[in-house]
Amino acid sequence: MNHRHLLPNEIDLLLDEESGFGVQPLRAHVRGCPDCRARMDSAESVAAALAQIPLIAPRYGMADRVMSQVPIFVPWQVSARDSLVQWIPTGRVARLTAAAFVGVAGTVVSGLTLWIASRGDLVAMATGLAGEGAQVAAADAAGDLIVAVFGPQVVTVVQQLGALGVWLAMGGFAVAALATVFGLKRVAASTRARS
Amino acid sequence: MKTVSVLDLANLPDADVVALAKQGREPAYRELIRRYERPVFSLVYRMVRDRELAEDLTQDTFIKVLSHIDKYRSEFKFSSWLFKISNNVAIDHLRRRQLDTVSMDGSPHATSLDLTEATSFELPTQDETPLQELEARELGSEIERAIGRLRPEYRSCILLRHVEDKSYEEIAATLDLPLGTVKTYIHRARHELRKLLEHLKEDGVVIPDEPE
Repeated sequence: MNHRHLLPNEIDLLLDEESGFGVQPLRAHVRGCPDCRARMDSAESVAAALAQIPLIAPRYGMADRVMSQVPIFVPWQVSARDSLVQWIPTGRVARLTAAAFVGVAGTVVSGLTLWIASRGDLVAMATGLAGEGAQVAAADAAGDLIVAVFGPQVVTVVQQLGALGVWLAMGGFAVAALATVFGLKRVAASTRARS
Repeated sequence: MKTVSVLDLANLPDADVVALAKQGREPAYRELIRRYERPVFSLVYRMVRDRELAEDLTQDTFIKVLSHIDKYRSEFKFSSWLFKISNNVAIDHLRRRQLDTVSMDGSPHATSLDLTEATSFELPTQDETPLQELEARELGSEIERAIGRLRPEYRSCILLRHVEDKSYEEIAATLDLPLGTVKTYIHRARHELRKLLEHLKEDGVVIPDEPE
């Protein structure tokens, strides 16, 4: 029989209900040793007292106080999804009606596409005529837009540069448009965070 | 997509609620506060022993955690991250308070009796405020008083072990301590609590009656 009293860390092992090789002899010793049994009881009473101390609640309204100071960031893909979701009807009948409408519209568009594809010669002639007209209209519209935004001198420069000038002007316009879109998105996100 | 109701959130595990919070869902933020305000406040209150201060520090903890929810990594438990920050907030305050402490018994740099007397001061006695009375009731039991006398490091370890039922490994991860250090702190805390409770019993300290 082991007459050595339990070491403090061995008391902790039993208190933490550890299992494994070497723990059983410790338990057996405690059963047979009054001193170690008393130390074990004392340790268990402290652990029991600790386990019974209650959780204390803070003052009511902690969530409101915290949330008034936490900025909420909504990722752009979540806000885009939410914007689309709000268009989906919630009622069963409305959803069925919307689904039927989308189905009919899709069928009509598909049929029209197939019909146009089967009339290749007519399509080529139409697009040729339309293309020339569209080219002239687009060039006029682009010129008017550039004059309105940048002034007539820029148009002169673009004309002198030729195709390069056109591409540069289109690129500049695209950059300005993207910057405007991102800027508006940032304003919308910060407005949402403040609200 | 179905909107998430408050009732649904209550049944979700922490990781899912955090994922919703990362999507900017305010109900998810509030659910995290609802779940952990009492455990965090209890830990901080028992560390700093001042209710009003514990309210402020708990609020700071949640603001820090939720403002940086995008940085949370799901391979760690959210509760461990939250308790780590709350413990750091409490320990930082206790360290600042220790530095700011002014001795009532005079400046330690005084070189004569006159200087010592000139730099000492007395606080006027005051009746206990309602807040102090509440604090005394909440933290007035023998075990609470004994906990209050532990070193802050021992206190946080023993509270996380026995009140929050965290494993040694979780406590080590939460407090950024080696596993051996956590075991040592808990062992010493238990030893000191046993001694303190025996002294309190021997001194015949009267526990305040519970209010009716």
